[in-house]
Amino acid sequence: MTQDINRRTILKAGGALIVSFSILPAWAQEAAQPAPGPKLPGSLNDERFLDSWIRIDAEGKIVVFTGKAELGQGIKTALIQVAAEELEVEPADIALVTADTGRTADEGFTAGSQSMQNSGTAIRNAAAQVRELLLAKAAEKFGTGSGELKAAEKVITAPDGRKAGYGELAAAIDLHIEAKPQSMLKAPGTLRIIGKSLPRVDIPAKVTGGIAYVQDLRLEGMVHARIVRPPSYNATLAQVDASRIEAMPGVIKVVRDGNFLAVVAEREYQAVSAMRALATAAQWIENETLPDETRLPEMLAGLEREVGTVAQEGAPHFDGKVF
Amino acid sequence: MAITLDVNGRTQEVDTDPATPLLYVLRDYLKLNAAKFGCGLGQCGSCTVMVDGQAVFSCVTPVMTLEGRKVTTLEGLGTIDAPAPIQTAFIEVQAAQCGYCIPGMMMSAQALLQKNPQPSEREIRDALRTNLCRCGTHMRILAAIRRAGELMKSAAAEKAGTG
Repeated sequence: MTQDINRRTILKAGGALIVSFSILPAWAQEAAQPAPGPKLPGSLNDERFLDSWIRIDAEGKIVVFTGKAELGQGIKTALIQVAAEELEVEPADIALVTADTGRTADEGFTAGSQSMQNSGTAIRNAAAQVRELLLAKAAEKFGTGSGELKAAEKVITAPDGRKAGYGELAAAIDLHIEAKPQSMLKAPGTLRIIGKSLPRVDIPAKVTGGIAYVQDLRLEGMVHARIVRPPSYNATLAQVDASRIEAMPGVIKVVRDGNFLAVVAEREYQAVSAMRALATAAQWIENETLPDETRLPEMLAGLEREVGTVAQEGAPHFDGKVF
Repeated sequence: MAITLDVNGRTQEVDTDPATPLLYVLRDYLKLNAAKFGCGLGQCGSCTVMVDGQAVFSCVTPVMTLEGRKVTTLEGLGTIDAPAPIQTAFIEVQAAQCGYCIPGMMMSAQALLQKNPQPSEREIRDALRTNLCRCGTHMRILAAIRRAGELMKSAAAEKAGTG
């Protein structure tokens, strides 16, 4: 029950329709104890340092990090637009690193239309704060106010024409600092890149056989495994004679752990062939049966159920056309 | 067993069980990414490649049937720097969501356009009946194939003009 209430609270708070029943771990971090310090925008609240999101090296190369994955929804392109907008650079100037457990923020699952809301908000605010730090550093260098300076094409220009590149300025700034709750976000009327439809950066690789999916990763020394699925829910593995399978070409090992049965082989199709042979060799005891198909309505009505309100806000309102 | 294959114009020798489906040879041995495993049953079309100009499901085609035949994958049509008309068209029209089915769609379309440079809408739809897209990119895929037909036509005209 506690689990259910949490899920509902989160669903309501997120305002998103989420069709899933195993997403709790990802959202649980939002419902967890608030991070110390002030509430920061989007995922900055969990990953609070500016350099967790944006890094600029001495050559002016800009790398932006997100914990969200490109799934064809176009977030790589969209997040690059957001970062480029607030940093006052072009989209092509941004290198984006997505969902890398060693390098990016842990932003949980990429689901529920939350990527722009959480990661996009974090990147936008971090980018605006980094821009302001670059402007402040340039103002210090030029002895002017930062409001008189203009940032464009990775260069900050003073009214008298003096220039300083993002690289040299960034080299003098420590971005490993906590973000502030408020950012100097660009005003909607001044946006150059956000709101425009850009060609998606992930499409060219996808239409030319580039590396675009998990399946395309080929790691050094990688082998292949296949799992033998039980014939029905809760079936138990009675016995399996794996000796014949272990002698098949390329098979490295048959793995059995209780009712879990799998095979590892050097080549992918060797694993597939061995898995099929292993499935034939495995003897299962089936413990559960599916409900009687002819009595499904009665079965459903007889299941444990709960009646309640998921969310209620305001009063129902309708002024549309009646058909 | 060593099997000699002609993939994208290159002769390659592969030491594998002759019953291995072409898809596994392309992906696991030749490290080609375009053809995708979808269903493994020849039902979804994401593994589609061309064999002697015909669209075939590589997931159910044993490699032993392919000696002496020409296998073409999406990689064999063009590259990211020098894309083929069909690739240019799919980029122009932005005809991909997750993109997983797209290489198979493109190979079915390529096989059609090579035989029939000006297919009707009906003919395009018939040629793509074997390819499924779960994202719902169908209308853009159709638009991209029409665009690819135009690009191929103008490329052919240019070639005829200069040649």
